Amino acid sequence: MIAEAIRTSKRAVIPYVTAGLPDLDATGEIIRALSDAGAAAIEIGIPFSDPMADGPVLQKASHLALQAGFTLDGLLPRVAKWSTGVRAPLIVMSYINPLMRRGMGETLVRLRDSGIQGVIIPDLPSDASGIHEICRSIGIDLIRLVAPTTPEERRREVVSQCSGFVYAVTVKGVTGARSNLPAEVRRQVQDIRSLTDLPVCTGFGVSTATQVEDMLSFADGVIVGSHLMGRVMESKTPVEESRKVLRMLMM
Amino acid sequence: MKGYFGEFGGRYVPETLLPALQELEDEFSAAWEDRGFRDEFSGCLRDYVGRPSPLTHARRLSEHLGIEVWLKREDLNHTGSHKINNAIGQILLARRMGKERIIAETGAGQHGVATATACALFGLTCAVYMGTRDIERQHMNVERMRLLGAEVVAVPTGTATLKDATSEAIRDWVTNVDTTYYLLGSAVGPHPYPTLVREFQRVIGEEARGQILEKTGSLPRAVIACVGGGSNAIGIFSGFMNDQVELIGVEAYGDANGRHGASIRFGIPGVLHGSRSHLLQDQNGQVLDTHSVAAGLDYPGVGPEHSFLSATRRARYELVDDRQALEAFRLLNRLEGIAPALESAHAIGFLRQYAPGHEGATVLVNLSGRGDKDLHTVLQEGL
Ligand SMILES: Cc1ncc(COP(=O)(O)O)c(C=O)c1O
Repeated sequence: MIAEAIRTSKRAVIPYVTAGLPDLDATGEIIRALSDAGAAAIEIGIPFSDPMADGPVLQKASHLALQAGFTLDGLLPRVAKWSTGVRAPLIVMSYINPLMRRGMGETLVRLRDSGIQGVIIPDLPSDASGIHEICRSIGIDLIRLVAPTTPEERRREVVSQCSGFVYAVTVKGVTGARSNLPAEVRRQVQDIRSLTDLPVCTGFGVSTATQVEDMLSFADGVIVGSHLMGRVMESKTPVEESRKVLRMLMM
Repeated sequence: MKGYFGEFGGRYVPETLLPALQELEDEFSAAWEDRGFRDEFSGCLRDYVGRPSPLTHARRLSEHLGIEVWLKREDLNHTGSHKINNAIGQILLARRMGKERIIAETGAGQHGVATATACALFGLTCAVYMGTRDIERQHMNVERMRLLGAEVVAVPTGTATLKDATSEAIRDWVTNVDTTYYLLGSAVGPHPYPTLVREFQRVIGEEARGQILEKTGSLPRAVIACVGGGSNAIGIFSGFMNDQVELIGVEAYGDANGRHGASIRFGIPGVLHGSRSHLLQDQNGQVLDTHSVAAGLDYPGVGPEHSFLSATRRARYELVDDRQALEAFRLLNRLEGIAPALESAHAIGFLRQYAPGHEGATVLVNLSGRGDKDLHTVLQEGL
């Protein structure tokens, strides 16, 4: 119930956590801490060797997690345990190749069976209708991205194939904290809203409580990734640090 | 389906880039139909690049191997490789689209040099992404790019080769998509790049077909080219697609330790850099490290049209390793007075495998570039 969780959250912050950093046990603890601290939902990032939509921080996180031995096969049995004990719905964010490696349908079923409620795929093919139908029949939300450059007709199509929430990308560019976020995102969220009843969340670049506050004045939720993972990688106590970062963003 | 070669190809990119790819597709279609654009392109190829490139009968090599070898001399193009054909074509497109900043990725540095050259010719700003490992082994090309006024951006991440340079160029493009034209250097990437690059390289095959008919009176038995991303191969293949001619792509079989760049032979279909094609990846869908003595073949993916040609068996893909390529490099120097690029040396190296059983057959090899840039590597390898 991703949409429901975002709607009922007073201040819907959705943290992104790279799986397997520093190891899978830590990821489990971080997820629990974030949920306890009030995350509306949590994105679990699947590390990929070639993350072309990510800036330096998430590239590094991905790289370190793979070096530490991350695999999807290692993750999923643990997710099954975490998902029953954690209030916040869990979402997987992954580039398409690791999901396709052993068949898209089969992998999505495995995700669903471990309690994952939604997927975000930044390099979904432009003609993704096949995948959205697979997701619908399997019963997992396909959260799609709408970019600042997306033309109206395409926006309509993407939103119509979307479930869970609509992900409005705030900036032209890759992931990574930015001190200035473009004002156009407000307009973009309004445009999306006119097409759907789904929650509309914004992400890419958000790193401060003020930015969160700002975004939540017009969006239903905010995704925070690089800022959190940057702090996690610098910290000796990543679990504590995640809790602290989220509390600060929720203030 | 549009943008696919059978089940390969497509457009697997961040949503932000889709409108730019559509614009590029529309602009290319319009330009390719436009007589003025075609004339401008062929004018540049003739007067600036020096086309048509010659077809040379490799007389002593032919005697040595017992087959008739003809070389399509892309090494004699301005800047020393086939990459300039595509760079000029795309620069003319970028100008038509009003873009003033050009970015590119490069492995061997040949595409970087070609792009920097085209930018100098038309007064455009140029940034070239290059892995730090390639910067070391292709240093001369780095200096050439700088002389031409380009900024060379070092990419230290991942394997620090062509793969990572390409990812970084895509990241730049997503960020600066309004002002920037991405001049992709091989027949890879999201639609329409594989098609567009093929069309700009088609001139190789069209010239070669006419030349070999004129000189030998018949078509060759086989057309052979090395395959990195696949642009020189698809360029020469496209002249012979409908002929009864064997099309053979040569992939890099790398070192003796099982590290290579032979995506079609050993890869599994997957998605890298915006399209679906054969990809060297592990069982978890992570892209594998590659190796080739030729920086331009050191890439885990391949153009989707080659995956398609392999699947439909219109072309076949063979293997030549580092050692065989280095030996071919030496052989061509000694027997023909030509130093091939180490990439092209893979195509030459395959002739030793082809000759037995094909005695007297005529073969056409695409000599995609010249080897000055590789002297450093060859000397290090102790030849
Ligand atoms: C001379 C030469 N040949 C071949 C290649 C491989 O590229 P492609 O397969 O696109 O022709 C390169 C790439 O750098 C090159 O410089």
